[in-house]
Amino acid sequence: MKEDYNILIAGVGGQGNLVCGRVLSEAARLKDLHPVIGETFGASRRGGTVLTHLRISNHERGPLIPKGRANLLLGMEPLEALRASIEYAGKQTVAVVSTARVETPESLSDAAEYPPTDKIIEAISSICGEVIAIDPVEALEKSGGLRLLNSYLLGAISVLKGVPISKDDIRESIRRTLQNPDLNLATFDLGVTDALKLSR
Amino acid sequence: MDDDTSPRLMSGNEAMARGALEAGVGFCTSYPGTPSTGIAEYIMSRAESIGIHAEWSVNEKVALEAAAGASWAGIPSLCSMKSLGLNVASDSLLSMNLSESGDGGFVIIVGDDPRGHSTSTEQDSRFYAKAALLPLLEPSGYQEAKDSVAYAFDISRKYKVPVIIRSTTRLSHSRGLVNLCPIDIHDFPRPLKMKENLFNVPDPHLARRDLRIKIRKISEAFDKSTFNRLRVKKEAELLTIASGICQKYAEEAMEEIGVENTGTLGLVTTHPLPKKVVAKAIKRAQNILFLEETDPFVEDAIRSFSTELISVSCKFHGKQNDLVPAHGEINTDLAIQGAQKALGLKFSRLDEKEEKIRESARKLLIRRPLTFCAGCTHRNVYWAVRKVKQRLGGKLFVAGDIGCYSLGVFYDEAISTLFSMGSGIGIASGLGQLHSFGLDSRIAAVAGDSTFLHACIPALINAKHKNANVTLMILDNSTTAMTGFQKHPGEEDQPEGQRMVSIEKIVQAIDPDFYAVGDAADLSSTIALIHSTVRKDGLNVLLFKSICRLEEQRMGESYTEQGRVYIDSDACHGESCKICAAQFGCVAIGWHDETARPIIYDHVCVRCGACVIVCPHDAIKQG
Ligand code: SF4
Ligand code: SF4
Repeated sequence: MKEDYNILIAGVGGQGNLVCGRVLSEAARLKDLHPVIGETFGASRRGGTVLTHLRISNHERGPLIPKGRANLLLGMEPLEALRASIEYAGKQTVAVVSTARVETPESLSDAAEYPPTDKIIEAISSICGEVIAIDPVEALEKSGGLRLLNSYLLGAISVLKGVPISKDDIRESIRRTLQNPDLNLATFDLGVTDALKLSR
Repeated sequence: MDDDTSPRLMSGNEAMARGALEAGVGFCTSYPGTPSTGIAEYIMSRAESIGIHAEWSVNEKVALEAAAGASWAGIPSLCSMKSLGLNVASDSLLSMNLSESGDGGFVIIVGDDPRGHSTSTEQDSRFYAKAALLPLLEPSGYQEAKDSVAYAFDISRKYKVPVIIRSTTRLSHSRGLVNLCPIDIHDFPRPLKMKENLFNVPDPHLARRDLRIKIRKISEAFDKSTFNRLRVKKEAELLTIASGICQKYAEEAMEEIGVENTGTLGLVTTHPLPKKVVAKAIKRAQNILFLEETDPFVEDAIRSFSTELISVSCKFHGKQNDLVPAHGEINTDLAIQGAQKALGLKFSRLDEKEEKIRESARKLLIRRPLTFCAGCTHRNVYWAVRKVKQRLGGKLFVAGDIGCYSLGVFYDEAISTLFSMGSGIGIASGLGQLHSFGLDSRIAAVAGDSTFLHACIPALINAKHKNANVTLMILDNSTTAMTGFQKHPGEEDQPEGQRMVSIEKIVQAIDPDFYAVGDAADLSSTIALIHSTVRKDGLNVLLFKSICRLEEQRMGESYTEQGRVYIDSDACHGESCKICAAQFGCVAIGWHDETARPIIYDHVCVRCGACVIVCPHDAIKQG
């Protein structure tokens, strides 16, 4: 590959953000590419913002995506997708964003107001070249709940063009990396179906 | 064992651990702490099959001493810890450095956490290498992280000094490709032969003099090291000198700034400086930009060294002249900015319109502070503290400590101090003596189980001995939860070959005036116990049996046997109350705007029932 490809996964602790990163980086390995993946730990399980930076190149890169240089933003939560896009997205960025909100302790206590989802998507659209907002709730109710959000979203991004890892690579990587691959793959396929509907 | 040596993705931590195993390490000690935990974890997962020793020591000082001991017996030894851990160990480090390390070699890995992602402070631990006159390596990538450990053992064995390797969060916690070598099963020389004269007296000053001579020789060895890479054509307009992960940022920045004539010097051996390499770099550049994590460590050393060189015409740029920040993490953007400023170029990443778009997007953002897990019993204890504080008219001061329960600073400021391991009870032992000065507040401290064993015992003895009026609450969830469930001596369930040390018996041996065991899962009794105890004079210790829900789930708990927790909409007072969602704040409780009633997220709820007690209107039910 000539140019680096940068994937940023933004979400909230406990959403399976790191697992997404693992799956994608192993998928890149299947293509003999050189992934470097930066994970934020510590906060990851305790409800804070979690960012995973995945940089795919043909040589070893630093673990952080430079500002504005994400090619793909995988937003597991709208507010976090917005936070990440302000720093790391640009006109070349395609954002796939789950619209399922995770409240913050302060939005629950009325100390702060969680902005309306359509306002968030609008703001992300003003920054990114393309935004696919996807509501996972219906599909996940069928498959096994919000725990499977990561596999669902991996399915959704697998239909995008220009990503250096293919759908088959990601499926294979899920098979190798995750416990309970069948359920995850079935959820992955739901993500594929829903994303295809949206992009049409 | 690991026969498969195909290249794979490894974190910097795993790579360094792997490097130690490949280099034949025989004795590994550590105390868990982000970002360094993964090093010892990797070694432990393989220790038994390779036949080596690896332990979570009770604290970093003991870890360092134990590993030094093994090294003196001829066994290659490794000790890993986080930045603040090296502070704990430094008491011994700064005197052991003057006695030679053992024949097997002794390597210390310290994980710094620039920006303090998971640390109560920001610290650059490299100054310990300078203070202790010890060699220091700063690998820049994953393969190098692995390879630098073998090199560190070589240097240690050759010069008989401990060698320090410094990693930072970004290297430790990111993953890249690493080529592996096989791990041989090592035979250690038998019988073990102890080194002699393991003390510095009566002439420590002479030992220090000798170490200085050694460090000069090591500087010459570093000049020959292939770890340091100078890439420069003729005279560069700008040359970066970078260490650690900043090497990667420097490379990318030089690609990005669009200036043709640039160069890079990547330094891995940063103390002592490889003087010839540095001198060569200085001579080939008009401008030099230093890039390193946290303090201007390399920068200061090179600025000072340059005064020894004749006719230096290049300009130095870095943290000392504010072109690069000396706080927080460095990244490619900061490297680009620094480079552009050094060359007098105009820096702007975005045009005005794009700045404006981001500015208005930013206005939508709200913070997302960290919080306790659903059903975490620490939340219960702090909820109880809040209630007791209210009853005492705010006159309760709680000193905090290091662990998951540190999050108490964000939970209604339930704890008022947060510094180093064991500092809570230490501070409280001082405050608890101020009642004769007219202090009218009750004094308490919290500590976790692992933290208690690590650093609280001397302070607790002090509190008893000095007759302080203090209540220590030990939140015992039987694991080192913050860093990922490492075993510690206080747990009943011990791995083979290790024995339990009872926290309760230690406390009782100190003989507090009042001692009781509480159940932090039971919110009502917790409030009552804290309320009655903190008002008692003398030394009080409450041992709260606590539950880490993550650990519980890791062990396979699914909660399906307990009844589901739900809201009785008719009984609930809605917006006018909102105590459960807004004040208690369990993350499994959300708020449904349309109905103005809370919702319980069943996939997150652990059915602990705490919120049932919290609700003043009996509107949360279980069953
Ligand atoms: S605490 Fe009870 S009454 Fe108050 S909002 Fe929550 S459920 Fe309703
Ligand atoms: S029972 Fe209540 S306090 Fe316990 S986890 Fe569920 S919602 Fe949270």
